[in-house]
Formats: sequence, structure tokens, C-alpha cells
Amino acid sequence: MSVGIRFEGIEVRFGGLPVLAAATGALPPGERTALVGPNGGGKTTLVRVLIGALVPDAGRVAFVDGTGREVPRPRIGYLSQRSTLSPLAPVSGLDLVSLSLDARPGLGRRLAVREEAASALRRAGLPEEAVSRPVGRLSGGQRQRVLLARAIAGAPEVLVLDEPDTALDAEGLKTLRRIVAEEVAAGRTVVYVTHDSAAMGGADRVFRVDRSVVEEPPDEENA
Amino acid sequence: MTEFLAYPFFQRALAAGAVTAVLCGALSFFVVLRRLAFVGSGVAHAAFGGVAIATLLGVPPGLGALVVALTVAGATARASESSGVTEDAAVGVFTVAAMAAGVVALGFVKTNVDLFGLMFGNILTVSGSDLGLLAGAGAAVLAALVFFFRPLLLVSVDEEGAAAAGVPVGAMRLLVLVLISVTVVVALKVVGILLVSALLVLPGAIARAISARWPGFLAGSVGAALVMVLGGLFLSVAVDIAPGASIILLGAALFVASLVAVRARSVG
Repeated sequence: MSVGIRFEGIEVRFGGLPVLAAATGALPPGERTALVGPNGGGKTTLVRVLIGALVPDAGRVAFVDGTGREVPRPRIGYLSQRSTLSPLAPVSGLDLVSLSLDARPGLGRRLAVREEAASALRRAGLPEEAVSRPVGRLSGGQRQRVLLARAIAGAPEVLVLDEPDTALDAEGLKTLRRIVAEEVAAGRTVVYVTHDSAAMGGADRVFRVDRSVVEEPPDEENA
Repeated sequence: MTEFLAYPFFQRALAAGAVTAVLCGALSFFVVLRRLAFVGSGVAHAAFGGVAIATLLGVPPGLGALVVALTVAGATARASESSGVTEDAAVGVFTVAAMAAGVVALGFVKTNVDLFGLMFGNILTVSGSDLGLLAGAGAAVLAALVFFFRPLLLVSVDEEGAAAAGVPVGAMRLLVLVLISVTVVVALKVVGILLVSALLVLPGAIARAISARWPGFLAGSVGAALVMVLGGLFLSVAVDIAPGASIILLGAALFVASLVAVRARSVG
């Protein structure tokens, strides 16, 4: 089932200063939505609210199915703009993706998790010899591929990518565009923050985020 | 020196030391990963205020230490969650407040309080009931660490990623602080307020220098804590120095040795 996101009246203030004010919009299920806007306009803040990493001062986020009916929060694959991973984090790419797939408390674990994680890392193009290396010992581009693998692992219904092209080389960008196209074709809802709405092969919808959120017509060449 | 092994008080000290080492070593892994060194120290110092207030009120000092340590841990988690104040800054404020309250309370206490024992611990006087309490609390802390290991590890290496994966980040932050508080209180008898914070930092710091992968890091942290506590105990009877101090001095020496070994490995 494709799941979309509806956000209404989102307000976020940092130190009393408004970063987002009355931000309202709908990201339809199974579509590719680009969030564009100037630096400091609130794009990353909005995606942090959407994934639940930041509680807004006002407003609400709801997840909806194709008929507009609210559904429980789905699994969300997330790739952050700046890696929040410590270079000293004692986990390999395989550990990180496995943990993200199955971070429930308890002693039992899904046996298929490691294989699912390894498959996502292969799909994101991480070289075989780097899969079990601690993330602090990977290059910036390799670490970005690990974060991309974590986002797509386990086929989440919603994929939120915050400037996913950061640190990727030409081959990495090609892989990223292919993965986004495959995810949309599989019915997933993809949201990405970008300075160039064509970067991921075009968008079905474009929202300009600059404290408030305004929908813009997508670039027809890339839609 | 081996004749000490025949004495029941030394056997109890070894058992208490081993339990404390496993607890502190396992928690030190998360303390170092989450950069909570000052939080561990702060909660330990806040426990001093709890002991003083409990003595004034005529309730068991350990209970007072636990209540104040948990209160400081809860207030720290709440402040860092709701106002964006870092855990280090929040615990710094609550700790000095708890210590000041303890100093005020001590001014009204008519009986003698073993401040030296409170500050530096006295592992050689651990009783059978102390050991039972330590083992019970230790088992509860270890069970919580094992049960919540996966979400705790994910939150410790990447909070945003953990939030996106649906992990309750705030609850995991609070859990770590609560486990630190309980461990600090049960370890007071062994190494005292001043030294328990070092026991929460040194094992993890030593292990991090040795292993870049979490299984080695965690096992190394517990191993380093065991070497520190048990080695420090034998050292204290061999050269006749205070056990708390010998435990920490041995840990500091191991830390320096681990840094030298890492440097030699990277140069070689």
C-alpha cells in the first residue's frame, strides 16, 4: 500500500526565531516530491518533523492512504543531509543497516535481517570489501552509500532523502537516480530535499520551503 | 599475598569488585559512545547530596542517594529533551544544586557521617547483605542493558537515524541515565563517589583505543573494568594503599598504555 504524508500548520521556532510558520502541504502516495528553497529556509527542519525526529511547536503530521484516510505511521527510510554518525561509531555499514531494520528491544532477532542489510548495501553500490568495515573508516562517498542503503533497506513505504547527492561521484549519482526511479515504480512515496529538482530524475510535485511552504509547478522537462 | 584469598572479607571484596566491574564496564561502553563522561561524574556527585539529606531524615543513605541520583537523571533528560540544553550542561546545574543541598543538610546532622568512606569507598568492608544488594541491582541493570541493547546502540551511534527507524529516542536517553544512576549508587560502597565516575569512563576509553568494532569495544570495556578492579584490589594489598585509589591508578595506567599501543600500531 502506498502511503502519503499530510502536514498542517507546522510551526517550529529555534531560540524564539521562527524557522517554519504555518507550513501546510500534502505529499501524495506513490509520488516523487521535491522540496526546494534557499539555505536556511527550513527544508531540513520540515523533513525532521515529517520523520518524527523533531516535535513541532504547533501543527500535526498525518500519514494517509490513497483515499485520504489516515493510517498508522509507516516505516520511513531516511537519509540525512549531514551524516549524524560519529566517525568513532564502532559499527560497520552492515551493523548500521541491520540495526535500523530491527532495533526492537528483546533477545530474539529476525534471522533475515543481515541478508536484507547486505542486499541493500549491494544495491547502493558499496564495494564488497567495505561492507564490514567500521563506518568511520569509509570515505565520504562510501558513507553516503551506507546511509542510502539504510534508507532503502526493508522496502519502507516512505523514503525521505535530505540532499542525497552530497559527496557522491558520477557513478554514485547514477545509482541514486536509478534507485529513486525503482522505488517510485514500486509504489513508494519519495520526498527529497534538493537545490535542483531535476537532480533525481525530475519530480511529480515541487514545494518551495522558505519558512512557509508553497507548491510550484514541476519543471515540465523533468517531470 | 595469596593468603588474603582465604579471608572472607577479601573474598566478598573480590565478588563485589567483579560485579561492579562488569556493570561499570558494560555501561562505560555507552558512556563513552554518548559522551556522557561528565554526566556519570555529575550523577555520582549528586548522590552525595542524597546521602546527606537521607542521613538528616534518618532514612537509609543508599535510598537517599538513589532518589537524588534518579531525580537528577530525570531532570537532565527532561531539560535536554524539551529545551535543547545539552545533557552535560543540564547535569552540571542539577549536580551543584544537589551537592549544595547536601552541604546544607550536613550542617544539621548531629551524628558522624563517614565522608571519607563515601568519597573513596571501602570495598574491604563490604558485608554479605551489601553483596546481595549489589548482585540484585547489578542483575537488573545488566538485564535492561541486554534487553534494550539494539535500540540503545542505534540511538548512541545515530539519534536521527534511530528516530526515523521508530526508536523512542527520548526514552532510550532516559534509560541510559537511569542505569547510570543505579550503577553509581550500588558502586558507591566499592569505589566511592569521586572514583565511580572514573570507573564509568576509563574502561570504555581504554576499549575504544583498542577496537573500532562494537563487539570488541564492549568486551574490551568489560575486560578492562575487571582488570582495573580485581588488579587494583590485589595491588592495594600488595603495596598497602587504598583500594579505590589503586583501582583508578591502574585504570589510568592501562589507558595510557592503550594510547601508546595504538600509536605504535599506527606508526608501525
